[in-house]
Amino acid sequence: MRGVRVLREIRAAAIGATAVMLLPAAVHADDNKNKDIIDYRQHIMKTLNEQSAALGQILSTTVPGENTSAHLQTIALAASLALKAFEPKVPGGEAKPEVWANWPDFSKRMTAFAQKTAEMAKISKERGNDAALQNVVDALSCKACHDVYRAEKK
Amino acid sequence: MIRSAALVKLTLLGAAFIGTSVLSVSAFADDQETIDYREHIMKTMGEQVAAMNQMRQGKIAPDNLAVHAEILAVTAATAKNAFTPKVVGGEAKADVWANWQDFSKRLDELVAATTDLAKTAKQGGLTAASPKLQGALPCKGCHETYREEKK
Repeated sequence: MRGVRVLREIRAAAIGATAVMLLPAAVHADDNKNKDIIDYRQHIMKTLNEQSAALGQILSTTVPGENTSAHLQTIALAASLALKAFEPKVPGGEAKPEVWANWPDFSKRMTAFAQKTAEMAKISKERGNDAALQNVVDALSCKACHDVYRAEKK
Repeated sequence: MIRSAALVKLTLLGAAFIGTSVLSVSAFADDQETIDYREHIMKTMGEQVAAMNQMRQGKIAPDNLAVHAEILAVTAATAKNAFTPKVVGGEAKADVWANWQDFSKRLDELVAATTDLAKTAKQGGLTAASPKLQGALPCKGCHETYREEKK
């Protein structure tokens, strides 16, 4: 009888120890998952940044404008991905917690951004770049959103 | 008379000097703009390949794989224009322009490969696109020859 009880105690202790060992592994897995989510949305935001900067150079006539329409297409495509990339509630990177605290406002801004850039890309294909770029300042109002929702890391 | 001739010479010399200075500043500014511009394009491709690799590795759901592939293809098609001005600097080795025919051919291959990837991702999703994403993009081969990575 005593032997059985000792065996049960040993088994219970072993199960407890295993659980304790697995817990940090689970936390670590969550950390990795969160990092993947942050990395992913940053790939999208950095794409928007690079493409907007390239377009800005064209608009300031410091580089030729042959690729204007292509930049407008890529900005529209990347903008169409951004909202979904922010859906998982994972603060970190340069995103302030306000993104999720004020989700209806953030979501509305992202949706408007995607719509306006898509419209610009469409006009560029149908009526040319000059017509498309008439609304560029309104469509690429990145700063207004960044001022509220981004904590830039230098 | 001598003094006024000397003054005229000095003025002309000064004007020429200022002209040269302005010219070189302007050339320098243009060069940096050219380098910055092509780096915006290359970094865009880097970000997009990284996002697709996250999907290939199962880290992110592949719902939008085809959109990423399309961004990559559209961007790849802008690269040749960006590298056409012969401006050495940034991470581009001088060999880009010394071997322009080869470099240019490789960029054409990149455009073909990324266009094919975009089509495959749109039609067959991750399963079909994954092998092409892993092996068919010629980034590394070209970077080994023409890129001097700055860490």
